[in-house]
Amino acid sequence: MNRIWSKGVSILLVSIMAGGLLSGCTNSSGNGEGAEGGDGNKLKILHNWNGSGGSDNGITPVEEVIKEKTGVTLEWEYTKGSETEKVNQIFATQDLPDIYTGPAWGGELDGIIKAAKEGQLVDISDKLGDYPNLAKSIAKENVPPALYEKAIDAYDGKKYLLLQNQPATNEDGMDWLYGFYVRKDIAEKVGVDPQSVVTKEDFYNFLQKIKDANLKESGQPVFPLGGFSNGWSVGIGNTMFYSGASYVDKGDGTVEHNFFTKGYEEYTLFYRKLVEEGLMDPEAFTQTDPIAKEKINQGRIAILAAHYPAILDASKEYVTAHPGSDYIPVGPLERADVDPSRPVDLGIQGNNVTAITSSCKGACVDAALKFLDYMASDEGFMLARYGVQGVHWDMKDGKPVPNKEWFDKFTADQSGKVRKNEGISIGLESVTGLDRINSAAGGDIWADQDRLDAMENARKILRPNGIHVITAYNPGDVITKSPEWEMLKPSMDRMGDAWKEAIFAKSDEAALSIINDLREQLRKTGYDQAMQFTNENLKGKDIVTVQMPN
Amino acid sequence: MIKTRVSNNRLMKRIWQHKLFYLFMLPGIVWFFLFSYVPLYGIQVAFRDYNFVGGFTGSPWAGLKYFQQFFNYYQSGDIIRNTIIISLMKLLIGFPMPIILALLLNEVRMIKFKKTVQTLSYLPYFVSWIVVVTLMQRLLTPYGGPVNDLLGSFGAESIQFLNNPTWFYQMIVGSDIWKNIGWNSIIFMAAIAGIDQQLYEAAKMDGAGRFRQMWHVSLPGIRNVAIILFILAVGSLMSAGYEQLLLLNGPATANLGSVLDVHAINSGIREGRLSYAAAVGLFQSVIALILVVTVNRIARKVSDVSLF
Repeated sequence: MNRIWSKGVSILLVSIMAGGLLSGCTNSSGNGEGAEGGDGNKLKILHNWNGSGGSDNGITPVEEVIKEKTGVTLEWEYTKGSETEKVNQIFATQDLPDIYTGPAWGGELDGIIKAAKEGQLVDISDKLGDYPNLAKSIAKENVPPALYEKAIDAYDGKKYLLLQNQPATNEDGMDWLYGFYVRKDIAEKVGVDPQSVVTKEDFYNFLQKIKDANLKESGQPVFPLGGFSNGWSVGIGNTMFYSGASYVDKGDGTVEHNFFTKGYEEYTLFYRKLVEEGLMDPEAFTQTDPIAKEKINQGRIAILAAHYPAILDASKEYVTAHPGSDYIPVGPLERADVDPSRPVDLGIQGNNVTAITSSCKGACVDAALKFLDYMASDEGFMLARYGVQGVHWDMKDGKPVPNKEWFDKFTADQSGKVRKNEGISIGLESVTGLDRINSAAGGDIWADQDRLDAMENARKILRPNGIHVITAYNPGDVITKSPEWEMLKPSMDRMGDAWKEAIFAKSDEAALSIINDLREQLRKTGYDQAMQFTNENLKGKDIVTVQMPN
Repeated sequence: MIKTRVSNNRLMKRIWQHKLFYLFMLPGIVWFFLFSYVPLYGIQVAFRDYNFVGGFTGSPWAGLKYFQQFFNYYQSGDIIRNTIIISLMKLLIGFPMPIILALLLNEVRMIKFKKTVQTLSYLPYFVSWIVVVTLMQRLLTPYGGPVNDLLGSFGAESIQFLNNPTWFYQMIVGSDIWKNIGWNSIIFMAAIAGIDQQLYEAAKMDGAGRFRQMWHVSLPGIRNVAIILFILAVGSLMSAGYEQLLLLNGPATANLGSVLDVHAINSGIREGRLSYAAAVGLFQSVIALILVVTVNRIARKVSDVSLF
C-alpha cells in the first residue's frame, strides 16, 4: 500500500515539476482574439510611449462607448522604457499586439518601417476606400513630404502605416514651447531678469549666479540646471551653437551632419564646462523620471529644460505649496547663424504612427480598422479628448463645454489618475487621425485658465516673431535610402552617447577626442558617400537646415 | 520487450530498478533540452542576414560579415578589454569572499547569530539589480544620501560614488560581492558540513588551534568544490554582468564600463541588429568554452580535480 502511495506521490511531483516547466515556456500573453481566429471583439493595443499608462479600474466609461459603437473591447499594453527597444523587442520575440501605435520619428519609426518591409504589418491599401477617416489621415496633402516618401508611400503601392495628430490646419499646430525655464523666485533672488539672458555667455553667467547663491531646499543643494529622465532635454542649448537642425548648410548648396561642425564642438565643450563647474545636475543623464520629478517637487532644480507642458505638470505640486515658485521662460536665447528676427522654425507634424500587425488576421483586421476609423472620426476624436458626451461634457451653442463637476475634479487631481480612470489620456488620443483640436473641436476644454495663461505668456516671450512650420525635406529621411546606411546607422546611433561621454570627459582634449574618434568611425563606415548620395537626391529641393525643438 | 532489453544492459537495469528516482531527473533533462540545446539552433542567425520573413532558416547567408563588423568597430578593443578587466576583478576579489564567509561562519558557535548572518547575507541575492542600483543611488548620492551625510558629519568631503571613474571599479566589484556572497557561500558551507569530524578531533589532539584547524582541515576539505566552481567561474570571464553594468555604467564611466553583454543587448534590442548581436554573443561563448577547457586541463594536471 505504502509503495503505491509513494509511487503515486512521486509521479504527481514529477508531473507538477515538468508541467510547471513547460507551462512557463508557453506564450500566454495572447494576441487578442483576432490572432486566434476569433471574431475580433477584443483587440490588444500597444501604446508605445514611455511612461504612458491607463486606468486603474478596468474598462473606462470612454471605452464603454467605444465598445458600444464598434463592438471592440481594448486590452492595453504600455511601454516603460525605450520606445525603440520595445519596437525591436516585439518583432524579435513575435509577441505582437493587434494594433501598434507609437512615435513617428527616430529609431521607433525605422523599426516599424523595417517591420512593414518584412511582412510584419497588415497591408491596408485595398481597404482604405471603406474607411474614409483613415484614408484622409494619410492622404499625400496631410503628411509631411519626407515622411510620406519614407514611411507612408514607400512600399510599391501598399500601405501599412497610419499617421496621427498631424495638424489639420495651422490653427491646430501645437507648439510645445521647448526651452529653458527658471523658477521665478530664484531668478528674483539672484537678481536676474530671465529675459535679459540672450547669449550663451549670459546663460552661463546666470547659472553661475545661481550656483554662487548657494541655495538649499530642505538642506539639499539647488542645482542650477536640470532635466527629466536620461537628461531629457538639457541639450536643447545646442541651438546657441549651430542652427539646431540635424543637417546644416555648408554654404555651398550642400549639407552635412551637425556632428561634423565646429559649432558641435563648441556646444560639447560648453556643456562639459557646465558639468565640470557644477552648474548642471551631474545625475541628470542617469536618473529615472520619478527621481527627476522628485527633485522638481523638492524645489531643487533652478532652471529646467523641456517642453512647457511637462514642466507645468511636474512642478504643479511644488508651486501649489510654494506660491510664486512657478517656472517662467528664459530668453529667448540667441540662435547661431540665424537672423534674430526670423520666426521660430518648428517641425510641427504628426507625432504618432499606427499599424495593424500580422498577429491580427481575418475578423481582427476588420475590427481594428473599424475601431481606428471611428477614433479618427469627429465623434471619436472628441470622445478621446473630452470624454463621454452627456457625462463629462455637453455641446452648448455648437461648442463643447465641460461639465463643471468633472472640470473641478480633473483640475484638482495633480496625478492625472482621475482623468485616466474616465478613459481620457490613456492613449486613445494617439489614434484620432488629424489633429482638429482648435479648428473642429473648439480647443482644449480641460485646460485650466492658469495653465492657458502661463502657456500664452511663455508663447509671447519665446516666440516674439511667431513661428514658421517646417514643410521642407529632412536630409535625415533621405540618407536612410543610401546604400551605405546599413553600415553607417550603428555609428550614427552612437552620436548621442558619444556627446554625453564627451561632456563628462576629464579634459577638453579628451572630449574632442571622443567626438573625433566617432567622426573617424562614421567616415570609415561610409559617411562621405552617404552624404554625397543625400546631397544629390536633395538637389533643387527645399531642405531643413534650421530647426528648433518641438 | 523492454524488460528483455533492460536485462541485457546493467546500467539500464539499474536505472529501471530505481526508475522512480530517475524520474525526478526528468524536469532537469527537459529544462536543459529546452533552454540549453534548442537555442543552439538559433546560433545560425550570427551567420545570416536575419529578417522576419525568412526567419532562422530562410534568411540569406551572410558568412562572417557580422564578426568582421564587430572587429572593425572602433570600440571593440575597448569593449573586450573592459569585459576582461571587470570579470577578472570580480573573479580574483569576489571568488574567495564566499569561501572566507563560509569558513568564518563555520567557526561561529552561537547558532542564532550564525543563522541571522546567513539569512542576511543570502537576502541580497534575491533582490533584483534594479532595486540594488536604485538603493545605491539613494544611499550614495552626494545630495542628501545617508552615506555622504555620515562622511560629512566626520568632516569629510562629499564623494560622487556613482558615475565617477575613480570609484567605478569599487562600486561594481563591491556591489557584486554584496549581492552574491551569501548565496555563493551555501555550497561551501555544505562542503564544510561534510568534512569528517574526526579530522577536527585529530587536529585538536595534535594541538591545532581554531585557525590551524581551519587552515589544515576546513580549507583542504572544500578544495575540490572550490576548484570546480573556479573552473565554472572562469567560463564567465567574457561575461561581466549585463544587468549590473547596464544600470551602473553612465556616460562618465563609459570608457571603463562598456562591456560585451551590454554591447550585444544594445545592438540587438536597441538597434534591432539581431545578427550582429548574435555574432557578439557567439564570440563570447566560444572564448568562454576555450577558457573552461583550458582551465579544466590545467586544474586536472595540477590538482587531479576537473570538471571532465
